[in-house]
Amino acid sequence: MTLPHLSRIRRRARRANGTRIWTWFMLPGTLWMTGFLIASLLLVAVLAVGTTDSLGNPRFGFDLSSIRALTDPAYSQVLLRSLGYSVLTCVICLVVAYPVAYTIALHGGRFKNAMIAAIVVPFFANYLVRMYGWSVVLSDDGPLLKALRDIGLADSGTRILNTGAGVVAGLVYGFVVFMIIPLYAALERLDVSLIEAGRDLYGGPLRTFFFVTLPATRQGAAAGLVLVFLPAMGDFVSAQLMGGPDQIMIGNLIQDKFFQGQNWPLGSALTMMLMLVLLIGMLGYLRRTRKDEAEARR
Amino acid sequence: MTLLRTPTTGAATDAARSRTRRRRGRADRRPRLALSVTVLFFALLYLPIAVVVLFSFNTQKSLTVFDGFSLRWYRAFFHDDVLISSLGTSLRISLVAMVGSVLLGAALALGLVRCRTRLGSVAGLVMLVPLITPEIVTGVASMLLFKGLGMTLSTATVMLSEITFSISYVTVILRSRVAALNPEVEEAAMDLGATRWQAVRLVTLPALVPTVLACSVLIFALVFDDFVLAYFTTGVEPQPLSVRIYSAIRFGVQPTINAVGTLMLAGSIGLIALALFIPRLFGRRGGLDLLSGK
Repeated sequence: MTLPHLSRIRRRARRANGTRIWTWFMLPGTLWMTGFLIASLLLVAVLAVGTTDSLGNPRFGFDLSSIRALTDPAYSQVLLRSLGYSVLTCVICLVVAYPVAYTIALHGGRFKNAMIAAIVVPFFANYLVRMYGWSVVLSDDGPLLKALRDIGLADSGTRILNTGAGVVAGLVYGFVVFMIIPLYAALERLDVSLIEAGRDLYGGPLRTFFFVTLPATRQGAAAGLVLVFLPAMGDFVSAQLMGGPDQIMIGNLIQDKFFQGQNWPLGSALTMMLMLVLLIGMLGYLRRTRKDEAEARR
Repeated sequence: MTLLRTPTTGAATDAARSRTRRRRGRADRRPRLALSVTVLFFALLYLPIAVVVLFSFNTQKSLTVFDGFSLRWYRAFFHDDVLISSLGTSLRISLVAMVGSVLLGAALALGLVRCRTRLGSVAGLVMLVPLITPEIVTGVASMLLFKGLGMTLSTATVMLSEITFSISYVTVILRSRVAALNPEVEEAAMDLGATRWQAVRLVTLPALVPTVLACSVLIFALVFDDFVLAYFTTGVEPQPLSVRIYSAIRFGVQPTINAVGTLMLAGSIGLIALALFIPRLFGRRGGLDLLSGK
Protein backbone atom coordinates (compact mmCIF):
# COMPACT_ATOMS: atom_id res chain seq x y z
CA MET A 1 0.00 0.00 0.00
CA THR A 2 2.84 2.35 0.68
CA LEU A 3 4.34 1.81 -2.73
CA PRO A 4 2.21 4.24 -4.77
CA HIS A 5 2.61 6.84 -2.10
CA LEU A 6 6.36 6.49 -2.04
CA SER A 7 6.62 6.67 -5.79
CA ARG A 8 4.57 9.85 -5.77
CA ILE A 9 7.04 11.45 -3.39
CA ARG A 10 9.89 10.22 -5.52
CA ARG A 11 8.25 11.70 -8.60
CA ARG A 12 7.76 15.04 -6.99
CA ALA A 13 11.38 15.15 -5.91
CA ARG A 14 12.44 14.14 -9.39
CA ARG A 15 10.30 16.80 -11.02
CA ALA A 16 11.86 19.55 -8.95
CA ASN A 17 15.30 18.30 -9.79
CA GLY A 18 14.39 17.25 -13.32
CA THR A 19 14.22 20.68 -14.89
CA ARG A 20 17.99 20.76 -14.78
CA ILE A 21 18.41 18.19 -17.54
CA TRP A 22 15.93 20.07 -19.74
CA THR A 23 17.90 23.25 -19.23
CA TRP A 24 20.97 21.44 -20.47
CA PHE A 25 18.99 20.26 -23.49
CA MET A 26 17.94 23.81 -24.27
CA LEU A 27 21.28 25.47 -23.71
CA PRO A 28 23.28 24.64 -26.88
CA GLY A 29 20.52 25.68 -29.27
CA THR A 30 19.74 28.85 -27.36
CA LEU A 31 23.39 29.83 -27.09
CA TRP A 32 23.89 29.15 -30.79
CA MET A 33 20.89 31.29 -31.74
CA THR A 34 21.91 34.09 -29.40
CA GLY A 35 25.48 34.05 -30.62
CA PHE A 36 24.77 33.91 -34.31
CA LEU A 37 21.41 35.58 -34.67
CA ILE A 38 20.73 38.04 -31.87
CA ALA A 39 24.35 39.20 -31.82
CA SER A 40 24.37 39.65 -35.58
CA LEU A 41 21.13 41.63 -35.54
CA LEU A 42 22.60 43.89 -32.86
CA LEU A 43 25.67 44.30 -35.04
CA VAL A 44 23.45 45.59 -37.86
CA ALA A 45 21.96 48.15 -35.47
CA VAL A 46 25.42 49.24 -34.31
CA LEU A 47 26.78 49.52 -37.82
CA ALA A 48 23.81 51.65 -38.87
CA VAL A 49 25.35 54.45 -36.84
CA GLY A 50 28.88 53.59 -37.95
CA THR A 51 31.02 55.24 -40.59
CA THR A 52 33.28 54.23 -43.42
CA ASP A 53 36.95 55.06 -43.73
CA SER A 54 38.48 56.51 -46.87
CA LEU A 55 38.77 53.03 -48.42
CA GLY A 56 35.08 52.37 -47.87
CA ASN A 57 35.65 49.87 -45.06
CA PRO A 58 33.06 50.01 -42.29
CA ARG A 59 34.18 51.54 -39.00
CA PHE A 60 32.36 51.59 -35.70
CA GLY A 61 31.49 54.95 -34.31
CA PHE A 62 28.57 57.18 -33.64
CA ASP A 63 27.56 58.99 -36.73
CA LEU A 64 24.02 59.69 -37.78
CA SER A 65 24.79 60.43 -41.43
CA SER A 66 23.48 57.05 -42.63
CA ILE A 67 20.27 57.48 -40.67
CA ARG A 68 19.94 61.01 -42.00
CA ALA A 69 20.54 59.75 -45.54
CA LEU A 70 17.36 57.69 -45.23
CA THR A 71 15.30 60.87 -45.41
CA ASP A 72 16.58 61.36 -48.95
CA PRO A 73 13.48 61.41 -51.17
CA ALA A 74 15.08 58.75 -53.41
CA TYR A 75 15.01 56.30 -50.48
CA SER A 76 11.62 57.22 -49.12
CA GLN A 77 10.25 56.77 -52.63
CA VAL A 78 11.64 53.23 -52.74
CA LEU A 79 10.27 52.53 -49.27
CA LEU A 80 6.83 53.77 -50.26
CA ARG A 81 6.96 51.72 -53.45
CA SER A 82 7.95 48.60 -51.49
CA LEU A 83 5.08 49.22 -49.09
CA GLY A 84 2.68 49.73 -51.98
CA TYR A 85 3.79 46.58 -53.80
CA SER A 86 3.68 44.52 -50.61
CA VAL A 87 0.23 45.74 -49.59
CA LEU A 88 -1.06 45.14 -53.11
CA THR A 89 0.50 41.67 -53.03
CA CYS A 90 -1.26 40.96 -49.73
CA VAL A 91 -4.62 42.08 -51.12
CA ILE A 92 -4.27 40.06 -54.33
CA CYS A 93 -3.12 37.01 -52.37
CA LEU A 94 -6.17 37.30 -50.12
CA VAL A 95 -8.55 37.68 -53.06
CA VAL A 96 -6.98 34.76 -54.93
CA ALA A 97 -6.32 32.48 -51.98
CA TYR A 98 -9.73 32.80 -50.37
CA PRO A 99 -11.77 31.13 -53.13
CA VAL A 100 -9.08 28.48 -53.54
CA ALA A 101 -8.96 27.66 -49.83
CA TYR A 102 -12.76 27.82 -49.68
CA THR A 103 -13.24 25.42 -52.57
CA ILE A 104 -10.72 22.95 -51.17
CA ALA A 105 -11.88 23.12 -47.55
CA LEU A 106 -15.63 22.99 -48.20
CA HIS A 107 -15.91 21.18 -51.50
CA GLY A 108 -12.66 19.24 -51.72
CA GLY A 109 -14.19 16.03 -50.40
CA ARG A 110 -11.66 13.25 -50.24
CA PHE A 111 -9.23 15.13 -52.49
CA LYS A 112 -8.69 17.84 -49.84
CA ASN A 113 -5.28 16.67 -48.68
CA ALA A 114 -4.11 15.88 -52.19
CA MET A 115 -5.09 19.34 -53.37
CA ILE A 116 -3.36 21.13 -50.50
CA ALA A 117 -0.29 18.99 -51.07
CA ALA A 118 -0.42 19.95 -54.75
CA ILE A 119 -0.17 23.59 -53.66
CA VAL A 120 2.43 23.18 -50.91
CA VAL A 121 4.83 20.83 -52.70
CA PRO A 122 5.73 23.09 -55.65
CA PHE A 123 6.18 25.88 -53.13
CA PHE A 124 9.08 23.98 -51.63
CA ALA A 125 10.69 23.73 -55.04
CA ASN A 126 13.51 26.17 -55.66
CA TYR A 127 12.28 29.75 -55.40
CA LEU A 128 14.63 31.01 -58.12
CA VAL A 129 13.66 28.34 -60.61
CA ARG A 130 9.97 29.02 -59.98
CA MET A 131 10.45 32.76 -60.40
CA TYR A 132 12.48 32.20 -63.53
CA GLY A 133 9.72 30.01 -64.99
CA TRP A 134 7.15 32.64 -64.03
CA SER A 135 9.17 35.34 -65.78
CA VAL A 136 9.21 33.20 -68.94
CA VAL A 137 5.42 32.78 -68.68
CA LEU A 138 4.91 36.52 -68.26
CA SER A 139 7.42 37.55 -70.93
CA ASP A 140 6.29 39.57 -73.95
CA ASP A 141 5.92 36.55 -76.19
CA GLY A 142 5.27 34.08 -73.39
CA PRO A 143 2.19 31.84 -73.22
CA LEU A 144 0.13 34.11 -70.98
CA LEU A 145 0.28 37.27 -73.07
CA LYS A 146 -0.14 35.19 -76.24
CA ALA A 147 -3.34 33.69 -74.86
CA LEU A 148 -4.59 37.10 -73.70
CA ARG A 149 -3.89 38.54 -77.15
CA ASP A 150 -5.75 35.67 -78.78
CA ILE A 151 -8.92 36.34 -76.81
CA GLY A 152 -8.51 40.08 -77.32
CA LEU A 153 -7.77 41.03 -73.72
CA ALA A 154 -4.35 42.40 -74.61
CA ASP A 155 -2.89 44.14 -77.63
CA SER A 156 0.61 43.96 -79.03
CA GLY A 157 1.76 46.76 -76.73
CA THR A 158 0.66 45.13 -73.48
CA ARG A 159 3.54 44.15 -71.25
CA ILE A 160 3.80 42.61 -67.83
CA LEU A 161 7.52 42.08 -67.49
CA ASN A 162 9.51 45.19 -66.56
CA THR A 163 6.48 46.87 -65.05
CA GLY A 164 5.21 47.20 -61.51
CA ALA A 165 2.52 44.66 -62.36
CA GLY A 166 5.26 42.16 -63.14
CA VAL A 167 6.92 42.70 -59.76
CA VAL A 168 3.63 42.27 -57.91
CA ALA A 169 2.84 39.19 -60.00
CA GLY A 170 6.19 37.76 -58.97
CA LEU A 171 5.59 38.47 -55.28
CA VAL A 172 2.11 36.95 -55.45
CA TYR A 173 3.42 33.84 -57.16
CA GLY A 174 6.24 33.56 -54.65
CA PHE A 175 4.25 33.86 -51.44
CA VAL A 176 0.57 33.09 -52.10
CA VAL A 177 0.95 29.74 -50.38
CA PHE A 178 1.50 31.54 -47.05
CA MET A 179 -2.02 32.90 -47.43
CA ILE A 180 -3.63 29.65 -48.52
CA ILE A 181 -2.40 27.57 -45.59
CA PRO A 182 -3.81 29.66 -42.69
CA LEU A 183 -7.01 30.37 -44.62
CA TYR A 184 -7.45 26.69 -45.34
CA ALA A 185 -6.85 25.86 -41.68
CA ALA A 186 -9.46 28.45 -40.62
CA LEU A 187 -12.02 27.30 -43.19
CA GLU A 188 -11.46 23.67 -42.23
CA ARG A 189 -12.27 24.51 -38.62
CA LEU A 190 -15.32 26.50 -39.68
CA ASP A 191 -18.59 24.91 -38.62
CA VAL A 192 -20.53 24.37 -41.85
CA SER A 193 -23.82 24.54 -39.95
CA LEU A 194 -23.06 28.24 -39.43
CA ILE A 195 -23.27 28.78 -43.18
CA GLU A 196 -26.44 26.69 -43.31
CA ALA A 197 -27.90 28.72 -40.48
CA GLY A 198 -27.14 31.87 -42.45
CA ARG A 199 -28.98 30.42 -45.42
CA ASP A 200 -31.88 29.25 -43.28
CA LEU A 201 -32.26 32.79 -42.04
CA TYR A 202 -32.74 33.78 -45.67
CA GLY A 203 -29.32 35.28 -46.15
CA GLY A 204 -28.33 35.10 -49.80
CA PRO A 205 -25.04 33.42 -50.67
CA LEU A 206 -23.26 36.78 -50.75
CA ARG A 207 -24.73 38.06 -47.50
CA THR A 208 -24.01 34.77 -45.78
CA PHE A 209 -20.45 34.93 -47.03
CA PHE A 210 -19.81 38.48 -45.86
CA PHE A 211 -21.64 38.23 -42.53
CA VAL A 212 -20.90 34.63 -41.54
CA THR A 213 -18.02 32.96 -43.38
CA LEU A 214 -15.65 35.88 -43.69
CA PRO A 215 -15.85 37.07 -40.04
CA ALA A 216 -15.43 33.50 -38.81
CA THR A 217 -12.17 33.14 -40.74
CA ARG A 218 -10.84 36.62 -39.99
CA GLN A 219 -7.95 35.34 -37.89
CA GLY A 220 -6.76 33.03 -40.64
CA ALA A 221 -6.84 35.93 -43.07
CA ALA A 222 -4.91 38.18 -40.65
CA ALA A 223 -2.24 35.51 -40.16
CA GLY A 224 -1.99 35.08 -43.91
CA LEU A 225 -1.61 38.82 -44.47
CA VAL A 226 1.34 38.96 -42.04
CA LEU A 227 2.93 35.82 -43.49
CA VAL A 228 2.77 37.30 -47.00
CA PHE A 229 3.73 40.83 -46.02
CA LEU A 230 6.96 39.81 -44.22
CA PRO A 231 8.72 38.07 -47.10
CA ALA A 232 7.23 40.40 -49.73
CA MET A 233 8.76 43.47 -48.05
CA GLY A 234 12.19 41.83 -47.90
CA ASP A 235 12.18 40.35 -51.39
CA PHE A 236 14.63 41.51 -54.02
CA VAL A 237 14.47 38.71 -56.57
CA SER A 238 11.04 39.57 -57.93
CA ALA A 239 11.91 43.21 -58.57
CA GLN A 240 15.12 42.08 -60.24
CA LEU A 241 13.62 39.45 -62.53
CA MET A 242 10.21 40.97 -63.22
CA GLY A 243 10.85 44.69 -62.93
CA GLY A 244 13.20 47.24 -64.36
CA PRO A 245 15.31 49.94 -62.73
CA ASP A 246 12.16 51.95 -61.98
CA GLN A 247 10.64 49.15 -59.91
CA ILE A 248 13.39 48.49 -57.37
CA MET A 249 12.34 47.69 -53.82
CA ILE A 250 14.06 48.21 -50.50
CA GLY A 251 15.59 44.73 -50.71
CA ASN A 252 17.35 45.72 -53.93
CA LEU A 253 18.73 48.84 -52.24
CA ILE A 254 20.08 46.79 -49.34
CA GLN A 255 21.61 44.27 -51.70
CA ASP A 256 23.17 47.08 -53.70
CA LYS A 257 24.70 48.77 -50.64
CA PHE A 258 26.32 45.53 -49.51
CA PHE A 259 27.52 44.24 -52.87
CA GLN A 260 27.95 46.84 -55.56
CA GLY A 261 27.79 50.07 -53.58
CA GLN A 262 29.92 48.88 -50.66
CA ASN A 263 28.36 51.31 -48.21
CA TRP A 264 27.71 49.02 -45.28
CA PRO A 265 26.55 51.60 -42.74
CA LEU A 266 23.94 52.84 -45.18
CA GLY A 267 22.95 49.25 -45.98
CA SER A 268 22.61 48.56 -42.25
CA ALA A 269 20.50 51.68 -41.79
CA LEU A 270 18.23 50.55 -44.64
CA THR A 271 17.99 47.09 -43.06
CA MET A 272 17.01 48.66 -39.73
CA MET A 273 14.36 50.74 -41.50
CA LEU A 274 12.96 47.58 -43.09
CA MET A 275 12.90 45.84 -39.70
CA LEU A 276 11.14 48.85 -38.17
CA VAL A 277 8.38 48.78 -40.80
CA LEU A 278 7.89 45.05 -40.28
CA LEU A 279 7.90 45.44 -36.51
CA ILE A 280 5.12 48.02 -36.75
CA GLY A 281 3.16 45.61 -38.93
CA MET A 282 3.71 42.74 -36.49
CA LEU A 283 2.66 44.84 -33.50
CA GLY A 284 -0.49 45.90 -35.32
CA TYR A 285 -1.27 42.25 -36.03
CA LEU A 286 -0.62 41.20 -32.42
CA ARG A 287 -2.85 43.97 -31.06
CA ARG A 288 -5.57 42.96 -33.48
CA THR A 289 -5.46 39.29 -32.48
CA ARG A 290 -5.30 40.18 -28.80
CA LYS A 291 -8.43 42.30 -29.21
CA ASP A 292 -10.11 39.46 -31.09
CA GLU A 293 -9.25 37.03 -28.35
CA ALA A 294 -10.59 39.37 -25.69
CA GLU A 295 -13.83 39.74 -27.64
CA ALA A 296 -14.12 36.00 -28.06
CA ARG A 297 -13.71 35.50 -24.32
CA ARG A 298 -16.45 37.96 -23.52
CA MET B 1 -46.95 0.16 -52.43
CA THR B 2 -47.04 2.53 -55.29
CA LEU B 3 -50.36 1.11 -56.37
CA LEU B 4 -51.89 1.81 -52.99
CA ARG B 5 -50.66 5.33 -52.79
CA THR B 6 -53.23 7.92 -53.67
CA PRO B 7 -52.23 10.50 -56.26
CA THR B 8 -52.52 13.36 -53.79
CA THR B 9 -50.11 11.99 -51.19
CA GLY B 10 -47.69 10.99 -53.91
CA ALA B 11 -47.67 14.52 -55.22
CA ALA B 12 -47.23 15.88 -51.71
CA THR B 13 -44.20 13.70 -50.92
CA ASP B 14 -42.73 14.49 -54.30
CA ALA B 15 -43.13 18.17 -53.60
CA ALA B 16 -41.56 17.78 -50.17
CA ARG B 17 -38.72 15.75 -51.58
CA SER B 18 -38.04 18.25 -54.31
CA ARG B 19 -38.14 21.02 -51.73
CA THR B 20 -35.54 19.32 -49.57
CA ARG B 21 -33.54 18.58 -52.66
CA ARG B 22 -33.67 22.21 -53.65
CA ARG B 23 -32.58 23.30 -50.20
CA ARG B 24 -29.77 20.82 -49.98
CA GLY B 25 -28.83 21.72 -53.51
CA ARG B 26 -28.47 25.32 -52.45
CA ALA B 27 -26.25 24.56 -49.49
CA ASP B 28 -24.22 22.02 -51.43
CA ARG B 29 -23.95 23.98 -54.61
CA ARG B 30 -20.40 24.44 -55.70
CA PRO B 31 -19.73 28.14 -55.86
CA ARG B 32 -18.98 28.51 -59.54
CA LEU B 33 -16.84 31.64 -59.18
CA ALA B 34 -14.66 30.12 -56.45
CA LEU B 35 -14.30 26.95 -58.47
CA SER B 36 -13.16 28.75 -61.59
CA VAL B 37 -10.67 30.81 -59.57
CA THR B 38 -9.32 27.56 -58.15
CA VAL B 39 -8.92 25.99 -61.59
CA LEU B 40 -7.19 29.11 -62.91
CA PHE B 41 -4.98 29.20 -59.81
CA PHE B 42 -3.78 25.64 -60.31
CA ALA B 43 -3.14 26.32 -63.99
CA LEU B 44 -1.02 29.39 -63.23
CA LEU B 45 0.74 27.62 -60.34
CA TYR B 46 1.98 24.84 -62.58
CA LEU B 47 2.45 26.74 -65.84
CA PRO B 48 5.91 28.18 -64.92
CA ILE B 49 7.09 24.78 -63.71
CA ALA B 50 5.77 23.15 -66.87
CA VAL B 51 7.56 25.73 -69.00
CA VAL B 52 10.90 25.07 -67.28
CA VAL B 53 10.52 21.32 -67.61
CA LEU B 54 9.33 21.45 -71.23
CA PHE B 55 12.07 23.73 -72.49
CA SER B 56 14.76 21.76 -70.68
CA PHE B 57 14.11 19.11 -73.34
CA ASN B 58 14.14 21.57 -76.24
CA THR B 59 16.59 21.03 -79.10
CA GLN B 60 17.06 24.76 -79.58
CA LYS B 61 17.96 27.66 -77.34
CA SER B 62 14.53 29.25 -77.73
CA LEU B 63 12.25 29.62 -74.70
CA THR B 64 9.14 30.24 -76.81
CA VAL B 65 9.26 27.63 -79.58
CA PHE B 66 9.59 23.95 -78.80
CA ASP B 67 11.47 22.40 -81.72
CA GLY B 68 11.90 18.85 -80.64
CA PHE B 69 13.00 16.57 -77.87
CA SER B 70 16.63 16.33 -76.89
CA LEU B 71 18.76 15.81 -73.81
CA ARG B 72 21.27 18.36 -75.03
CA TRP B 73 20.98 20.70 -72.03
CA TYR B 74 21.24 17.87 -69.55
CA ARG B 75 24.43 16.74 -71.25
CA ALA B 76 25.67 20.31 -71.14
CA PHE B 77 24.96 20.42 -67.41
CA PHE B 78 26.77 17.18 -66.64
CA HIS B 79 29.79 18.34 -68.61
CA ASP B 80 29.87 21.72 -66.90
CA ASP B 81 32.51 21.32 -64.20
CA VAL B 82 31.59 24.59 -62.47
CA LEU B 83 27.93 23.61 -62.09
CA ILE B 84 28.79 20.09 -60.99
CA SER B 85 31.17 21.35 -58.30
CA SER B 86 28.42 23.79 -57.19
CA LEU B 87 26.05 20.86 -56.92
CA GLY B 88 28.56 19.08 -54.68
CA THR B 89 28.97 22.21 -52.54
CA SER B 90 25.19 22.54 -52.14
CA LEU B 91 24.86 18.90 -51.15
CA ARG B 92 27.64 19.24 -48.57
CA ILE B 93 26.09 22.40 -47.11
CA SER B 94 22.65 20.81 -46.90
CA LEU B 95 24.01 17.70 -45.21
CA VAL B 96 25.97 19.60 -42.56
CA ALA B 97 23.14 22.06 -41.94
CA MET B 98 20.67 19.20 -41.66
CA VAL B 99 22.69 17.28 -39.06
CA GLY B 100 23.62 20.38 -37.07
CA SER B 101 20.20 21.97 -36.96
CA VAL B 102 18.35 18.72 -36.23
CA LEU B 103 20.65 17.95 -33.28
CA LEU B 104 20.43 21.45 -31.81
CA GLY B 105 16.77 21.94 -32.70
CA ALA B 106 15.56 18.60 -31.36
CA ALA B 107 17.30 19.18 -28.03
CA LEU B 108 15.87 22.70 -27.93
CA ALA B 109 12.35 21.42 -28.66
CA LEU B 110 12.58 18.83 -25.87
CA GLY B 111 13.87 21.42 -23.45
CA LEU B 112 11.29 24.04 -24.40
CA VAL B 113 8.35 21.71 -23.88
CA ARG B 114 9.53 20.21 -20.60
CA CYS B 115 11.22 23.17 -18.97
CA ARG B 116 8.97 25.90 -17.65
CA THR B 117 11.62 28.24 -16.30
CA ARG B 118 12.34 31.80 -17.29
CA LEU B 119 15.20 30.62 -19.51
CA GLY B 120 12.64 28.50 -21.29
CA SER B 121 10.45 31.43 -22.21
CA VAL B 122 13.45 33.48 -23.32
CA ALA B 123 14.65 30.59 -25.48
CA GLY B 124 11.16 30.30 -26.95
CA LEU B 125 11.27 33.94 -28.00
CA VAL B 126 14.81 33.77 -29.40
CA MET B 127 13.81 30.75 -31.45
CA LEU B 128 10.95 32.66 -33.07
CA VAL B 129 13.15 35.53 -34.31
CA PRO B 130 14.22 33.94 -37.63
CA LEU B 131 10.60 33.12 -38.46
CA ILE B 132 9.52 36.75 -38.27
CA THR B 133 12.64 38.24 -39.85
CA PRO B 134 12.87 38.43 -43.63
CA GLU B 135 15.72 36.37 -45.02
CA ILE B 136 17.49 39.40 -46.41
CA VAL B 137 17.87 40.78 -42.87
CA THR B 138 19.21 37.49 -41.53
CA GLY B 139 21.52 37.32 -44.54
CA VAL B 140 22.90 40.82 -44.04
CA ALA B 141 23.26 40.26 -40.31
CA SER B 142 25.11 36.94 -40.70
CA MET B 143 27.44 38.42 -43.27
CA LEU B 144 28.27 41.36 -40.98
CA LEU B 145 28.87 39.01 -38.06
CA PHE B 146 31.25 36.78 -40.01
CA LYS B 147 33.11 39.77 -41.40
CA GLY B 148 33.18 41.33 -37.93
CA LEU B 149 34.69 38.16 -36.50
CA GLY B 150 37.34 38.34 -39.21
CA MET B 151 36.16 35.17 -40.96
CA THR B 152 36.53 34.80 -44.71
CA LEU B 153 33.19 34.03 -46.33
CA SER B 154 33.23 30.43 -47.54
CA THR B 155 31.22 27.24 -47.60
CA ALA B 156 31.68 27.02 -43.83
CA THR B 157 30.01 30.38 -43.21
CA VAL B 158 27.05 29.30 -45.36
CA MET B 159 26.78 26.15 -43.25
CA LEU B 160 26.83 28.13 -40.00
CA SER B 161 24.11 30.55 -41.06
CA GLU B 162 21.95 27.81 -42.58
CA ILE B 163 22.13 25.91 -39.28
CA THR B 164 21.09 29.05 -37.39
CA PHE B 165 18.12 29.55 -39.65
CA SER B 166 17.02 25.91 -39.74
CA ILE B 167 17.05 25.40 -35.96
CA SER B 168 13.81 27.37 -35.75
CA TYR B 169 12.05 25.16 -38.28
CA VAL B 170 13.21 21.98 -36.55
CA THR B 171 12.12 23.31 -33.17
CA VAL B 172 8.70 24.43 -34.38
CA ILE B 173 8.01 21.11 -36.09
CA LEU B 174 9.30 18.93 -33.25
CA ARG B 175 7.84 20.98 -30.43
CA SER B 176 4.24 20.08 -31.23
CA ARG B 177 5.26 16.44 -31.52
CA VAL B 178 7.07 16.46 -28.16
CA ALA B 179 4.12 18.23 -26.56
CA ALA B 180 1.88 15.41 -27.78
CA LEU B 181 3.97 12.82 -25.92
CA ASN B 182 2.85 11.81 -22.48
CA PRO B 183 5.54 12.65 -19.90
CA GLU B 184 4.02 10.05 -17.58
CA VAL B 185 5.54 7.33 -19.76
CA GLU B 186 8.99 8.71 -18.97
CA GLU B 187 8.07 8.84 -15.29
CA ALA B 188 6.97 5.22 -15.50
CA ALA B 189 10.32 4.26 -17.00
CA MET B 190 12.06 5.96 -14.10
CA ASP B 191 9.79 4.23 -11.59
CA LEU B 192 11.01 1.02 -13.17
CA GLY B 193 14.58 2.03 -12.39
CA ALA B 194 15.74 3.98 -15.42
CA THR B 195 17.76 7.12 -14.89
CA ARG B 196 16.39 10.35 -16.38
CA TRP B 197 18.83 10.14 -19.28
CA GLN B 198 18.00 6.49 -19.93
CA ALA B 199 14.31 7.34 -19.92
CA VAL B 200 14.86 10.06 -22.51
CA ARG B 201 17.09 7.86 -24.64
CA LEU B 202 15.02 4.69 -24.48
CA VAL B 203 11.49 6.06 -24.29
CA THR B 204 11.18 9.61 -25.62
CA LEU B 205 13.72 9.63 -28.44
CA PRO B 206 12.42 6.48 -30.18
CA ALA B 207 8.95 8.02 -30.20
CA LEU B 208 10.37 11.04 -32.01
CA VAL B 209 12.24 9.09 -34.69
CA PRO B 210 9.64 9.36 -37.51
CA THR B 211 9.16 13.09 -37.06
CA VAL B 212 12.91 13.68 -36.75
CA LEU B 213 13.57 11.77 -39.97
CA ALA B 214 10.83 13.58 -41.87
CA CYS B 215 12.01 16.89 -40.50
CA SER B 216 15.61 16.14 -41.53
CA VAL B 217 14.58 15.46 -45.10
CA LEU B 218 12.57 18.67 -45.12
CA ILE B 219 15.50 20.73 -43.79
CA PHE B 220 17.82 19.16 -46.34
CA ALA B 221 15.48 20.25 -49.14
CA LEU B 222 14.96 23.73 -47.67
CA VAL B 223 18.69 24.38 -47.26
CA PHE B 224 19.48 22.96 -50.69
CA ASP B 225 16.96 25.31 -52.28
CA ASP B 226 17.76 28.31 -50.13
CA PHE B 227 19.15 31.23 -52.03
CA VAL B 228 19.09 34.46 -50.01
CA LEU B 229 21.15 33.33 -47.00
CA ALA B 230 23.60 31.47 -49.20
CA TYR B 231 23.95 34.51 -51.44
CA PHE B 232 24.93 36.77 -48.56
CA THR B 233 27.25 34.37 -46.76
CA THR B 234 29.02 32.47 -49.53
CA GLY B 235 32.55 33.08 -50.65
CA VAL B 236 33.58 33.51 -54.27
CA GLU B 237 34.55 29.91 -54.92
CA PRO B 238 32.99 27.35 -54.62
CA GLN B 239 29.45 28.73 -54.73
CA PRO B 240 26.27 26.82 -53.90
CA LEU B 241 24.11 25.84 -56.87
CA SER B 242 21.29 28.29 -56.18
CA VAL B 243 23.71 31.23 -56.12
CA ARG B 244 25.17 29.99 -59.41
CA ILE B 245 21.65 29.78 -60.89
CA TYR B 246 20.94 33.31 -59.72
CA SER B 247 23.90 34.75 -61.60
CA ALA B 248 23.04 32.69 -64.66
CA ILE B 249 19.44 33.96 -64.67
CA ARG B 250 20.55 37.52 -64.08
CA PHE B 251 23.25 37.69 -66.68
CA GLY B 252 21.76 36.17 -69.79
CA VAL B 253 19.56 33.13 -69.84
CA GLN B 254 21.15 29.83 -70.73
CA PRO B 255 18.95 26.83 -71.48
CA THR B 256 21.20 24.76 -69.19
CA ILE B 257 19.36 26.51 -66.38
CA ASN B 258 16.15 24.80 -67.50
CA ALA B 259 17.85 21.42 -67.16
CA VAL B 260 19.34 22.27 -63.76
CA GLY B 261 16.01 23.73 -62.69
CA THR B 262 14.12 20.61 -63.74
CA LEU B 263 16.54 18.39 -61.83
CA MET B 264 16.24 20.61 -58.74
CA LEU B 265 12.44 20.66 -58.98
CA ALA B 266 12.36 16.89 -59.29
CA GLY B 267 14.81 16.56 -56.40
CA SER B 268 12.96 18.80 -53.97
CA ILE B 269 9.51 17.51 -54.90
CA GLY B 270 10.83 13.99 -54.34
CA LEU B 271 12.30 14.96 -50.96
CA ILE B 272 9.13 16.70 -49.80
CA ALA B 273 7.05 13.73 -50.86
CA LEU B 274 9.49 11.55 -48.91
CA ALA B 275 9.20 13.81 -45.86
CA LEU B 276 5.42 13.50 -45.96
CA PHE B 277 5.63 9.76 -46.55
CA ILE B 278 8.18 8.77 -43.85
CA PRO B 279 5.78 9.10 -40.88
CA ARG B 280 3.34 6.78 -42.66
CA LEU B 281 6.00 4.07 -42.65
CA PHE B 282 5.87 4.23 -38.88
CA GLY B 283 2.10 4.27 -38.69
CA ARG B 284 -0.13 7.27 -38.69
CA ARG B 285 1.17 9.10 -35.66
CA GLY B 286 3.86 11.72 -35.74
CA GLY B 287 3.26 13.09 -39.20
CA LEU B 288 4.54 16.45 -40.33
CA ASP B 289 2.00 19.12 -39.72
CA LEU B 290 2.75 20.80 -43.01
CA LEU B 291 -0.68 20.54 -44.47
CA SER B 292 -2.86 21.72 -41.66
CA GLY B 293 -1.38 25.14 -41.17
CA LYS B 294 1.57 26.31 -39.11
